[in-house]
Amino acid sequence: MYINDHPLLESEFLEEITFFYEGKQLIAKSGQTVAAALMGNGIKVFGVSRKLQQPRGVFCANGRCCSCFVTIDGLDHTLSCMTRIEEGMQVFFNGGDPVVGRGGSGI
Amino acid sequence: MEFELVIIGGGPAGLMAALTAAEKGVKTAIVEESFALGGQLRQQAQVLENLPKEFGKQSGIALAKFFSNKVSSIGVTALLGHTMIGTYRNGTIGVSNGKDTFPIYAKKILVTTGAAEQAALFPGWTLPGVMTIGAAQILLNRERVLPGKEAVVLGCNSISYDIAKQLRACGVNVQGIIEKKSIDEIDKELIEKFESENIEVFFHSNIEKAAGKQHVEKVWIDNDVLKKEREIDLVCISNGLYPVTEPLELLDCEFTYIENLGGRIPKYGSSFTTSNSSVYVAGNAAGITCIEGILVTASIAVTGILEDLAILNNIEAKKQKEILWTELLKAETGRYSKVHDARISLVNDFLPKEI
Repeated sequence: MYINDHPLLESEFLEEITFFYEGKQLIAKSGQTVAAALMGNGIKVFGVSRKLQQPRGVFCANGRCCSCFVTIDGLDHTLSCMTRIEEGMQVFFNGGDPVVGRGGSGI
Repeated sequence: MEFELVIIGGGPAGLMAALTAAEKGVKTAIVEESFALGGQLRQQAQVLENLPKEFGKQSGIALAKFFSNKVSSIGVTALLGHTMIGTYRNGTIGVSNGKDTFPIYAKKILVTTGAAEQAALFPGWTLPGVMTIGAAQILLNRERVLPGKEAVVLGCNSISYDIAKQLRACGVNVQGIIEKKSIDEIDKELIEKFESENIEVFFHSNIEKAAGKQHVEKVWIDNDVLKKEREIDLVCISNGLYPVTEPLELLDCEFTYIENLGGRIPKYGSSFTTSNSSVYVAGNAAGITCIEGILVTASIAVTGILEDLAILNNIEAKKQKEILWTELLKAETGRYSKVHDARISLVNDFLPKEI
């Protein structure tokens, strides 16, 4: 849930932008992280753990714990707490290990 | 890219150092992992009472704004969204923005990477809705999103006091603070503060477990006498900080373990020089301290750097450092006296390598 009138801070006009989560169109505020945009839309579970497939979401919000991985615009295991939301961004649930390229480029 | 001073980490320590260095004409860059300067000040809505005189009393948010405006107007290069990921053989550091990796040459490197929050382990601690208290504050004040509606906080300390109050002001029902220690082991003044805010503290208690289908829905509070089951959707862990030191490891600095400074930290001398003579450390990365301590250690380190770069002469630098160490002693008196004592013995043991 977004805090529109923050009781402790000056009000701040933040432009609304649209992004997509699992193909569904949602609204975020510009300047927010992807993690906050998801939380603001009531989404707490961003993915599952690698081994036991347990639910995961925001833990440290500071780019260290790697609990908040999502797929953003095709890039798996992106830290949602360190990435700013952008207009039209395609965000997906982190359902497991990323697809690692086995192409000729050596990656 | 080439600079006289490269600062790793754009929080209060890094910004303080960058300002002082740039004012003296040092070509300075800040490498900052996040997309904004200010570090953890950016979400601190509480007023910081004991800042060095020139800053007066202001909130962390205001101080972050002041610092980042000043730093950009004074010509410091801020590399936002950049992380130091390694060193080259010639001592040049490698920096990446996720797409490109490139070398930066620096005469002096100052590491001000700050601190990270300790987790606390109990069954269910990995469930969404269980987060560090710092994460809750980021969501609340920086991102303006409610992290939950019904909360318990693990850890009775001044950080959890400030943030519990802020959570409540925004409409989160803080059901209580859970504290392992008994009531006699906690600072009386702090207990009174919680009491005056009508926030219940469960002493000698712990979270036995947390549970929920997809995210946290319940916690069991265990305190020998009673087992309380609580319906919540937010558990905030306030279990202290530890220094973030990866860049110092990459730079081959020698380390030691000092409990009172927050754990594993680099060895350093009275100018905050590490065992690698071109590398300095300051702020929480040099031992967990208060905001004044963070700012003053940065000032000492930058004085040492200015002396090394021959911008300050030895006599001026010595005088300046004496004043600053007195300030640091003052800042770290009382609650932080153990930190200061540990720091002094670390500095006294420091023997710079023969060059």
